[in-house]
Amino acid sequence: MNKYLLAAGALCALGTNAALAHITLETQEAAVGSTYKAVLRMPHGCEGKATTAVRVQIPEGVIAVKPMPKPGWTLQVKKGKYEKSYQLYGETLTTGVKEVDWSGGNLPDEFYDEFVFRASLAADLPAGQMLYFPVVQECGDAAERWIEIPAAGQDEDALETPAPGIKLLPKK
Amino acid sequence: MNRMLAGSLVWLAAMLVAMALLVVPGRALAHAALIATDPADGAVLTQSPGKFSLTFSEPVSPLVLTLVRPDGSQLALTSFRLKDQTVEIDNPEALKSGTHVLSWRVVSVDGHPVGGSALFSIGALSAAPVAGEAVDWTLRAMIWLGKLFLYAGLFLGIGGAFALAWLAEERRRGQCFVIAALVFGLVGAPLSLGLQGLDALGAPLARFATPAVWKTALETSFVWTVLLGLIALGLALLSLAGPSGLRKPSASVALLGVGAALAASGHASAAEPQWLTRPLVFLHGTAIAFWAGALAPLGLALRQQPAEAKAFLRRLSRAILPVVAVLAASGIVLAIIQVQQPVALIHTAYGRLLLLKLTLLLFLFTLAAINRWTLTAPAVAGDTEVQRRMVRSIGIEVAIVLAIFGVAAGWRFTPPPRALAIAAAQPVSIHIHTLKAMADLSITPGHAGEVAASMMIMTGDFGPLDAKEVTLVLSKPDSGIEPIKRPARKSGDGTWRIGNLVIPLPGRWNARLDILVSDFEVVKIQAPIDIRAE
Repeated sequence: MNKYLLAAGALCALGTNAALAHITLETQEAAVGSTYKAVLRMPHGCEGKATTAVRVQIPEGVIAVKPMPKPGWTLQVKKGKYEKSYQLYGETLTTGVKEVDWSGGNLPDEFYDEFVFRASLAADLPAGQMLYFPVVQECGDAAERWIEIPAAGQDEDALETPAPGIKLLPKK
Repeated sequence: MNRMLAGSLVWLAAMLVAMALLVVPGRALAHAALIATDPADGAVLTQSPGKFSLTFSEPVSPLVLTLVRPDGSQLALTSFRLKDQTVEIDNPEALKSGTHVLSWRVVSVDGHPVGGSALFSIGALSAAPVAGEAVDWTLRAMIWLGKLFLYAGLFLGIGGAFALAWLAEERRRGQCFVIAALVFGLVGAPLSLGLQGLDALGAPLARFATPAVWKTALETSFVWTVLLGLIALGLALLSLAGPSGLRKPSASVALLGVGAALAASGHASAAEPQWLTRPLVFLHGTAIAFWAGALAPLGLALRQQPAEAKAFLRRLSRAILPVVAVLAASGIVLAIIQVQQPVALIHTAYGRLLLLKLTLLLFLFTLAAINRWTLTAPAVAGDTEVQRRMVRSIGIEVAIVLAIFGVAAGWRFTPPPRALAIAAAQPVSIHIHTLKAMADLSITPGHAGEVAASMMIMTGDFGPLDAKEVTLVLSKPDSGIEPIKRPARKSGDGTWRIGNLVIPLPGRWNARLDILVSDFEVVKIQAPIDIRAE
């Protein structure tokens, strides 16, 4: 039993090693047509500087977004038109949150924090593929842009500043 | 007979001038542009195509079509058909997987050559092969030989005709030699012109007779050298075979024509300041023709008719000192302009050829000085033993002169240090074109060391691209140097600039431009860029 734990621990440590320095989502898989709680993990600032704002772009097909407020941060959303209309609990949605901003905060480089929002994944999102949430991390006048999305066939590890993403699972 | 020959020579010269005047200003302005290629540039194919095609904006005629395989080896594509504006090229072999380069050089109706290349891959991408510039040694040897023939005609032929007209007492001695040299020149001049056309187009020797080659040749400055040379050669023949009244004037004009022909083109004539270099080349060439041309007729006269040769020797020895002074002075100034720095004598091919020429000149001047100050007086006095020594010495001098011509003809292939310095300061530019964005990147100067970069960014379909940020990332994975990453500043004219950039090593770098299109979208485009050694 202990052996298994050790092996699993080692696997976890190795498996997540590459992602440690990047911004990632806590839950890396979700079924289409389900509700998803996104927990953005901020491992560090921008080259030593404290993080002052986090902005997330909401991809098409992620609807009914509700961000969680954070003490010490100003929460704002930018709304816009979806590319098409979505059905959710009998309602037709054509507009919604396209970007979530937490700003005015101060997260020093040596501390860790999480930024949370909840959303519905539309049922017609392509299961089996990755869904990316581009993030801009601002640190005063500096910024780190976690917005790179791998091209078809490109290895995600080759990217310097990959956008956090989740794998879409088939509808349950 | 002689009069007829003279008349036809005058006509020939007049026709050549008329032809040059008609052809040279008649350059059309439009050049052919490539519209489409099949396979498309950047395409990845699943299997080897049976043929390629290139479509241009106007009908063209292919000069050189080459396929560079992924391993860098080259395959000449010789089987092609023209269909209106499209060149269809047969692919002679099944291509292996990897990235290939289809390199083309065509000439359009206006005679202007254009070249380029398209990359495509079979199966998967590989590193783009580097197409080394293959040196066509046969063509080079022919160019060199053509130059040597031309020099023989201009210096030994025309100079010889001048010596026979003005210095010799008995003009039959050496006449055969001089006429032979003139014939060499008459062959070498048009030959050199055609070869110049081939070289300008990068076309192989097999295309020597194609109109495009000659049309191109007629647009180079070398056509004036050939034209003036041919006129001078014709006048020299006229002085030998024409009426006696024309002998001296036509020989004099021919001698001046040598200088004019040489001043019309070439490395030295192209150097700045032009007001100095062109007259110096003129003086240098005229002086060479005077001196070198007199040697063979004098030697032959001394051997065959020593008594009559004495007057020849006396006149030459009286005139030679100022001529050699002009020759040496103009040569030294031109060498200083061309070489610029003494180390370039050793470090450049041009400098080494100059050193070789100077060594040969040292021998030549030594022999000439002995002739002039030791042998001339007793030879003129009638000492037959000395006369024989002098004939031998002159024979060696002619051989050295020919060797010097050979060295000078070799300069055709070596840019002078002056030109190399200008070339070193030139920027290196690449054009990166992808669906999402395209960029022109220039690095100035295009060699390792402190440089500045400038970038022009546009969308993939030539529209304006208002980027928020542009970052240049230069990497050289094989060097062990970490990528150099620099943000660019947008300048007033819309270009993105980076100053104070240091590229530590020459060689092939990968230039990547990270273009921030919007807050959440970055477009990365990249291409290799060749940085020269400092």
